[in-house]
Amino acid sequence: MIKDFLFEICSNQFVSGFEYSNGHILEKYFDAFTDSLERDKIGSYIFKSNGTKDTKIMLAAHIDEIGLMITSILDGGFLKFTSVGGINAASLVAQDVTIFGKENIFGVIGIKPPHLTSDEERKKPIKIEDLFIDTGYSKEYLEKIVSIGDVAVIKREPISLCGSVMSAKALDDRACVAVMIETAKELKKISHKSNIYYTATAQEETGCRGSKTAGYKIDPDIAIVLDVDFGMTPDMPPDTASLGKGPIVAIGGRLNPKLTKKFIDVCKEYNYKIQYEAVPAATGTDTESLQINREGIPCILLSIPLRYMHTSVETIDIEDVKNTGKAIARFINEIDNSDLEEILCF
Amino acid sequence: MEFNSKLMKDLSNCFSPSGREKNVREFITNEIKDYVDEIKVDALGNLIARKKGTGKKILFSAHMDQIGLIITHVDEKGFLRFSNVGGINAKELLGFRVVFDNGYEGVICSEKLEEKEKITFNKLYIDVASTSPDFVKTNFQIGDMCVFQSQYYETEECVICKAADDRIGCYILIEAIKNYSETETDVYYVFSVQEEVGCRGAVTAGYGINPDICIALDVTATGDSLDGIKMDVKLDGGAAIKLMDKSLITHPEIKDLLTNLAKENNIKYQYEVLEFGGTDAGAIHTTMSGVPSGVISIPTRNLHSCSEIFHKNDVLECIKLVNAVTKQ
Amino acid sequence: MFLKELTELCGVSGYEYEVRNYIKNKLTEIGCEFYVDKLGNVIAHNKGKKTKTIMISAHMDEVGLIVTHIDSNGFIKFKNVGGVDPKVLNSKVVLIGENKVPGVIGSKAVHLMSQEERGKAIPIDKLYIDIGADSKDEAEKKVNIGDYVAFKSDYVEFGDNLIKAKALDDRVGCSAILELLAMKLDVDFYGVFTVMEEVGLRGAITAAYALQPDFGIVLEGTVSADMPEVDEHSKSTLIGKGAALSIIDNSTVYDIDAVRNVEKIAKENNIPYQFRKSSSGGNDAGPIHKTKEGAKVIAISVPCRYIHSSVNVASKNDYKSVVELTKTVLLEQCK
Repeated sequence: MIKDFLFEICSNQFVSGFEYSNGHILEKYFDAFTDSLERDKIGSYIFKSNGTKDTKIMLAAHIDEIGLMITSILDGGFLKFTSVGGINAASLVAQDVTIFGKENIFGVIGIKPPHLTSDEERKKPIKIEDLFIDTGYSKEYLEKIVSIGDVAVIKREPISLCGSVMSAKALDDRACVAVMIETAKELKKISHKSNIYYTATAQEETGCRGSKTAGYKIDPDIAIVLDVDFGMTPDMPPDTASLGKGPIVAIGGRLNPKLTKKFIDVCKEYNYKIQYEAVPAATGTDTESLQINREGIPCILLSIPLRYMHTSVETIDIEDVKNTGKAIARFINEIDNSDLEEILCF
Repeated sequence: MEFNSKLMKDLSNCFSPSGREKNVREFITNEIKDYVDEIKVDALGNLIARKKGTGKKILFSAHMDQIGLIITHVDEKGFLRFSNVGGINAKELLGFRVVFDNGYEGVICSEKLEEKEKITFNKLYIDVASTSPDFVKTNFQIGDMCVFQSQYYETEECVICKAADDRIGCYILIEAIKNYSETETDVYYVFSVQEEVGCRGAVTAGYGINPDICIALDVTATGDSLDGIKMDVKLDGGAAIKLMDKSLITHPEIKDLLTNLAKENNIKYQYEVLEFGGTDAGAIHTTMSGVPSGVISIPTRNLHSCSEIFHKNDVLECIKLVNAVTKQ
Repeated sequence: MFLKELTELCGVSGYEYEVRNYIKNKLTEIGCEFYVDKLGNVIAHNKGKKTKTIMISAHMDEVGLIVTHIDSNGFIKFKNVGGVDPKVLNSKVVLIGENKVPGVIGSKAVHLMSQEERGKAIPIDKLYIDIGADSKDEAEKKVNIGDYVAFKSDYVEFGDNLIKAKALDDRVGCSAILELLAMKLDVDFYGVFTVMEEVGLRGAITAAYALQPDFGIVLEGTVSADMPEVDEHSKSTLIGKGAALSIIDNSTVYDIDAVRNVEKIAKENNIPYQFRKSSSGGNDAGPIHKTKEGAKVIAISVPCRYIHSSVNVASKNDYKSVVELTKTVLLEQCK
């Protein structure tokens, strides 16, 4: 089921700021394990599973993805665009794209043929402003379907690689939305006392905006923040985490040390594989806004190792997703049966 | 509606860099106090006027502050060293005239430089045209601010002035208030402080009001001159409905609302995607559990210079659009 | 038009099996005599009225990659086969070997790049394919050194009569020759599907040697650069403006009388055409016109944007013009 979810959700768009259009897919998968759905006013989805006591636990994984936004319609059926979130222009060359205008249209991002570029030009970095989406329509026709401000994404079918490894666009951070589904499924089985808020946050890629507003709305006692982190490849330093070896537990000032230790202890006790990373300051995840929400929220941060972040071929091991989801369910179960105040007391 | 040149000129000439918005706040208070139900100043200095209603809460915001310079050192010879208040590029300052709150003026000069490209703030100073260090020390102190000096000028079509960013937004809200027609909507007109140093006024005003929707009025860049900015917005293209900048992705409901109102009321509009910059709406839209927000922008050339240029027709279209939103 | 089927096949230079098998089956269906020569070229014979020996050629192969090494962690190193611009490799899905094992070519996360690195094309020797294997052993079960690697890129029809696919260079030519053979024209000619054009025009050399043509027609997908911010004179060819006639390239100075004659035929028959305004590149016309005692050659091409990438774009109308013009030229040869 996790794989089905990932293949379906990664085939659809949730560009930052445009998360409203495909929410039915989330509902389809969360429905069976949760009691209600609420939205904040930025675009985050909050699926709540009712507990028997007052404690509120927020899980947060962002649903939004980086994308492209049309800035100009040119002669000959070409579109100029800018990025929504951080994209390396070099990863956009020679890609199929879908433009979400009045109707969805197909386009291609091409590049000038090498025959026509000087040696000097070839060495220059590619900038987004040098690229165009080629739609093959006349300008007159395009203007009827596409307007400035419409978004586009790279068209990429998810694929299975060896074993449980898969590749798709937007696995940052839908891999972690899948983690939440796995946790919800587990907790449904073993039941829970706390109120659990599975939050698919909006606009993380443009500045952790959705987690700020969703966090305010939920006002949780603790938050488990889920994101992706760099996975090992030949061009990475030796301390990089590997695929298939479990979630990366972040240790540092943005995270509550005692809650983090509790999670580590639970994983050790129940034999869940984990990896570690030291984060001296900013994490670049939803912890940035959640930790300082209202009077403050104790957070832990778990990351799924992912290769080729912010490209259209992000790669993860689905086993990491499942194991993380199960470990979190076990962790929540332990929290339910402990004195949370005591855990959090400095 | 005619363009009120005197009002714009007076607004532009108010001395009010970020954090020192007193002059413009007093001026605006005088202009609008007879037209609104409630008026107050919050702890940071935001001027908040209200037309009461029983319906939805709308927050309109335009910032009162302008970019400027702040004196950091007065040297033995009577020259002033300074730093920037808001986004100012040191490379573009040489030869600019500045004016202080006390009316004294100066000119920005540079130490001898081998390479002009490498100019930074610490190589620049202000010469206030005095040979007497005592005179300088008496009249200029560390912490004093100054702003660019330039003459207000207008043609049939356009205005050239300083601080169009964002006095033109203030102008639009003042005119909107004066031309307000009764509605259910509970309207808050916020004249905010300290936008140029990070939308700080908007943060507290947004929290205090916690509106249902927010519309900011601010300037935006254009792609119709030779300065190399590539975008589709142009002068005399109508009110610009912002769709994205670095601080905000416009909420879909607000995009539709503004677009439909413009169409229904025959208001000339254009869409705007700005690849840099932000506005008060960016700060307000993440208030509490979120505020659907958008921006009505006034296309302006030569932004953050002493001589910003905008088109009167665009301003009139913006006023119409603000009042169309109010009537909703 | 057989373009959808043809472009979905893998045929990196030197490994044209899939394309060849498809073409052989089609030729059998059409009922056309053919043989495969020692290099793997398919040579079909359309029997009819003969005034001279005519050879129409298109190449089956496409640019791609080849596996050179599997590292200790199971990542796959490769080299390019034919002219692949390193810029187009970033963030792509590829298919490896006969079993089409899927893999991805990634790129370091943008977050970890210095300002200088951003936007730069990563050289091929720094790139690798990731098939999700967690060790060399696991990777070696699926992939061998020497396996050919093709881009995964679907055939899509879009815009006003445009198509996007990989390998339009030169499956457009293959498809056109198949159509011409299926027409059963009363003109004697050889339809030749060559191998290894992209790595040195190899197949055409032996085919031309065997056939000794008097007149050669090369059907190609050729470079188009008709995108914004390119000077008019640099656009080479324009999509949608008709069949492109070559005048000169790195391999051939085309026989000007033959070219003018084709132009005349196009005009008389109202077939859209244009000249190819570039002298770079080369094709099978090179070996064909220089073999044995020589031959007159022309090249008629379908303009393709983003050639040598995974996303070639061409116009169906241009393709039709190429087929129509070639057919008319053939019929003229017997008059």
